[in-house]
Amino acid sequence: MTVRHLFSVLLFVSMTGPVSAMAAPKVIELPPDGVQLKKSDLPGYAKAQAICATCHSAEYMQYQPPNAARPYWDAMVKRMKTVFKAPINDADMPDIVDYLAKTYGSGASQQN
Amino acid sequence: MKNFPKFNHGRRNLLGAALGAVGLSAIHSSAGAQSVINLPFENGQRNLVAYPEKRPLIVLTSRPPQLETPFAVFNEGIITPNDAFFVRYHNAGIPTSIDPDTHVIKVGGNAVSKPYTLTLAELRTQFKPVEYVAVNQCSGNSRGHFNPRVTGGQLSNGAMGNARWMGVPLRDVLARAQLKDSARQITFNGLDLPIFSGDFVKALEVNHAMDGEVMIAYQMNGADLPMLNGFPVRLVVPGFYGTYWVKHLSEIEVIDGVFEEFWMKPGYRIPDNDCACIEPGTAPAATRPIGRFNVRSFITSLADGARLRAGQEQLVRGIAFDGGQGIREVAYSADGGQSWREASLGEDIGRYSFREFRFGFTPIAGSIDLRVRAWNRSGQSQPMQALWQPGGYMRNVVESVKVTAA
Repeated sequence: MTVRHLFSVLLFVSMTGPVSAMAAPKVIELPPDGVQLKKSDLPGYAKAQAICATCHSAEYMQYQPPNAARPYWDAMVKRMKTVFKAPINDADMPDIVDYLAKTYGSGASQQN
Repeated sequence: MKNFPKFNHGRRNLLGAALGAVGLSAIHSSAGAQSVINLPFENGQRNLVAYPEKRPLIVLTSRPPQLETPFAVFNEGIITPNDAFFVRYHNAGIPTSIDPDTHVIKVGGNAVSKPYTLTLAELRTQFKPVEYVAVNQCSGNSRGHFNPRVTGGQLSNGAMGNARWMGVPLRDVLARAQLKDSARQITFNGLDLPIFSGDFVKALEVNHAMDGEVMIAYQMNGADLPMLNGFPVRLVVPGFYGTYWVKHLSEIEVIDGVFEEFWMKPGYRIPDNDCACIEPGTAPAATRPIGRFNVRSFITSLADGARLRAGQEQLVRGIAFDGGQGIREVAYSADGGQSWREASLGEDIGRYSFREFRFGFTPIAGSIDLRVRAWNRSGQSQPMQALWQPGGYMRNVVESVKVTAA
């Protein structure tokens, strides 16, 4: 920092001091995820941990109605890739959908 | 009619003011034993966690935070305290540190003549403030009660709240940018960001945005907005679903076209017909963006399963609201909807606010199915049977509270 810069900073602080004292930055610290992906021997489990959990916690899966069928999980994984640009390899998508549908949904091909 | 105990306003506001004095240090979520609540639908077990500036709320999702208000809060008063107000984010890149002295709102777009940047100090000092009470309600409030179930955030009835908002009419902020004749829609963006793509941006029609009621709010119930409710400024769109109430507002664009990014289309669309409903399992022929609230009413002083004393008058209290006409009448039934009587209405503190209602009835021994139904000043009301739509939005059936008397 140059002397001139230091002077500007000091001048700024002296001019705005009382105002910034009144309006401090608001800082929060968020708690950790309350729910983790359910463990599974299915090959999609590790892939879901690596991909899905990057952007969101596992309640998004866990709290869906138990009759959520495979087409729902398929559509969601596709949406994550096409709309939200999640870095999912096409080759991994069937495994991830299979894990989600069997672990969190009805696993059936049609909604009940 | 008997004297009913009035809602106690104010006490919780002291708590909010105390929190505002915390200052520079990060506001943590409070530690302690995690408790659990069971919402009344299948797979409805949820954790209750106190996020920063919040009391323990129902966690729909941890990251990004989506928090539902426990329903008992709505019996504390017709104003929902800031520390109990629901939270809904769409993307996980949410701001955790904001300096109100450096936050700005950029006003631009291809349909203004004079784009400019607005500081919060200018917003607070160069415009005439407005203040009113308005309900904010999530589009998907009550989605978990849909039958057949629909996918999405499985909320019970607590993704709503009623607050006194203070800020500046959006119209006045837009006028300074000098809208061109070509202006058709206004888009709104906030500081929250997606991890990769899919920024949360919403749009209103220009006539709506210029109605003088839509507000850029910098106060909520007399205090700064909690961070998770959009500090330091959020859009308030009274009578419209919360999806339009963009938090941490930082960018406003006036455009000459129709904005159709994901969160406007296909997100947040409803069937384009009078009831915004279709036969379960079918697909709508056409859709439109979700808009104004329909009419709702809830008993707040009794929960399902309550046990009453037979033969003794029971006082019942609740809330009703609509999209801005104001509530004209609330009726109640103590026999599952076969016969109805008029409830008395509490103080009118604005047509966008919750309206309190009260009634007394004397239960006879046995099971009792209590129902309430509201009408607004246009004569719109609530359906006796729930309507259905694939998005799980806009539930407003006449609710039933089942109690027993002995």
